[in-house]
Amino acid sequence: MLQRLLAIIRKELITMLRDPRARYTLIVPPTLQLFVFSFAATMEVKNIDLAIVDLDRGPYAADIVQRLRGSRSFTALPHYDSVAAARGALERERIIGMLVLPSGFSPDLAAGRPATAQLLLDGRRSNAAQIAAQYVSLIVSAEGASLTGAPADGDAAAAAGAGVAAPPNADVVVDNWFNPNLDYRWYMLPNLVGMLSLGVALMITALSVARERELGTFDQTLVSPATPVEIALGKLLPPLVVALVQTTLYLLIVTLLYGVPFRGNLLIFYAAVLAFAAACAGVGLCVSSLVYTQQQAFLGAFALLLPFSLLSGFATPVENMPAWLQFITTINPLTHMLRLMQGLFLKGASLGSMAHELERLLEIALFTTTAAVLLFSRKAA
Amino acid sequence: MSDALTRVHAWWQQLAAVMIKEAKQVIRDPSSWIIAVVLPLTFLFLFGYGISLDTTVVKIAVVREDDGRDARDFAAALTNSRWFLVVPAAGRRTGEQLLQDQSVKAVVIIPAEFDRFLNAQHTTAQVQVLVDGAEPNTANFVHGYVSSIWSGFLAARGLQQGMAMAAPVDVATRFWFNANAESRWFLIPGSMTVIMTLLGTLLTSLVVAREWERGTLEALYATPLTRGQILIGKTLPYFLLAMVSMLVCVLTALFLFRLPLRGSLLALGLVSAVFLFPALGQGLLISVTMKSQMAAAQLGLATGFLPAMMLSGFLFDIHSMPVWLRAITFAVPARYMNVSLQTVFLAGDIWAVLVPNMLFMLAVGALFFGLAWWRLHKRVD
Repeated sequence: MLQRLLAIIRKELITMLRDPRARYTLIVPPTLQLFVFSFAATMEVKNIDLAIVDLDRGPYAADIVQRLRGSRSFTALPHYDSVAAARGALERERIIGMLVLPSGFSPDLAAGRPATAQLLLDGRRSNAAQIAAQYVSLIVSAEGASLTGAPADGDAAAAAGAGVAAPPNADVVVDNWFNPNLDYRWYMLPNLVGMLSLGVALMITALSVARERELGTFDQTLVSPATPVEIALGKLLPPLVVALVQTTLYLLIVTLLYGVPFRGNLLIFYAAVLAFAAACAGVGLCVSSLVYTQQQAFLGAFALLLPFSLLSGFATPVENMPAWLQFITTINPLTHMLRLMQGLFLKGASLGSMAHELERLLEIALFTTTAAVLLFSRKAA
Repeated sequence: MSDALTRVHAWWQQLAAVMIKEAKQVIRDPSSWIIAVVLPLTFLFLFGYGISLDTTVVKIAVVREDDGRDARDFAAALTNSRWFLVVPAAGRRTGEQLLQDQSVKAVVIIPAEFDRFLNAQHTTAQVQVLVDGAEPNTANFVHGYVSSIWSGFLAARGLQQGMAMAAPVDVATRFWFNANAESRWFLIPGSMTVIMTLLGTLLTSLVVAREWERGTLEALYATPLTRGQILIGKTLPYFLLAMVSMLVCVLTALFLFRLPLRGSLLALGLVSAVFLFPALGQGLLISVTMKSQMAAAQLGLATGFLPAMMLSGFLFDIHSMPVWLRAITFAVPARYMNVSLQTVFLAGDIWAVLVPNMLFMLAVGALFFGLAWWRLHKRVD
């Protein structure tokens, strides 16, 4: 039995890797994607173009503009005479928003009265705009803090200094664990390792049976002495080998080229990769058992790939989803894989805290592979 | 004169024949229905319900080492905040463990002697915040929220003690076009772009490749049809299919997701039709280049679908990408469609935005169709 199984696995690996172009498509496109997407997939907002509408023309307004200019998040701060003039630029998406410093801004502040700057943003890009708004608020409140910190006239103002923003005797100290510089790429790259191996493992198995059926070699395999279960297992194992090779490559690129730390245990890493690849291969083989042509297999795999990747916390946090979708995320292997990757790369999490995710991944893998073998056997019988 | 008329008439008749043949094939093949109806709706639902970039509630742990009144007040302020779900932690150790195990996103530590330091003259009371930096965006949100609760707490405390408030500098933020900064409002037009790319590019990428695989392309060449007629005849049914699908998407967006349509239906239809030109052209180019459906589908996925997801400004802001990547996005038709759809839905018929974008789409489309025409010619020889 073992001998027959090994023979089938060998045959599958040969058909998969014989063609140099096939070998090439297994390695090159995913690596390119890792590279391009690590630059594209950022939620950081950079190169902000923000219009300044300075109706105040006072010292404090000039100060704030100076502070904005000093921040490296902003590339251009064009001045406009009126809100109406800046609105045109906003509509054309030349700028993401405008900071309006109303007339009376500086005199108010000088007299110790509260002053409000207006920030108008392009809601079409509301996500980037919200993040830009945070930057602007931080900078403007820094101006406020410097005001209260500065020796103002009289004791009243000095005492008032204890009441706002950052008074001298109270402080919030923030310590960012795991990713001290809050580098978005450190977050994205471990996730991409999971994402890209999902795609490959799913596609390889999804197309495997369909291709044989189209080429007419499937019947030949069936009349061989191998049992359907052995044939199914033979189809499930090659993607694991491919996943091991690919993730090793990714691990090297991510740590050596991008300098992302790997703080976890390599054994847990490979255990996670194998369990995850098995879970995906099981899903792929299920698809393959249900379809007749490669095109259908491709579409089926694609239709699954989308919800898997969207409902995993890859692009948006799971906590933001409604409860019924959060349930789906718990049966999605990618969710657990991403948590494991975050834990292994950035957090150096202990086996104890990873065990739960690993266990869930194994459960899912067991379920999908069993389902795949059953479906396949029924079809082959 | 009548001779020319007959020629034109014959040309149209031939074209109609190809179109009818192609349309029959589309309608008969179940997989084109999956891709045209099921996938788009699934996709829209997933994006509408599953994906939200608005941070809702973040789970944090609060460690209070001081029993004083101010310490309790600040802890209560955190608990009462609508941004946080607070888990009390017995000690620093427990809190750090919770953070390590990914159970909470941050730990706020109110240290021992907090009250004494806050109220004494020459000491500084420090609130320590340990943040899970692995996901930088959430980390920034947590930082911002804690800081604003902190300054609110200090201000309230100052008021209680009868201190005069210093003049605060405030930023009033407003979002144009999307007053509540709902991410769904910009994600849904974006997902329509992805759906249209899927239909336009992925579906047509299989069209000629299929004929090539089945050996029916030579039969088509043997007919008196010209290259132009073949290309137009093959794409027009898909054009109509995509327009129907777009209509379904628009109705879903307006009536189910309550998206505003501030522009006109005319502009919406025009933009969609213009976008299909490069999308179909790209699919057709892939189709005449690749010889197998599988390879065509993979190329369609890698050059059509994935860039529409990652490089169109749909999930990730283009302005924040590095320059070389921004240059690449100019060749992605989805980029122009995304801006146009967001503008028509959220802002209105701003032709200053729409016209240049449509011109770009037409230019890219002309390039793709030209190349496809040229490649098809090479084959005939």
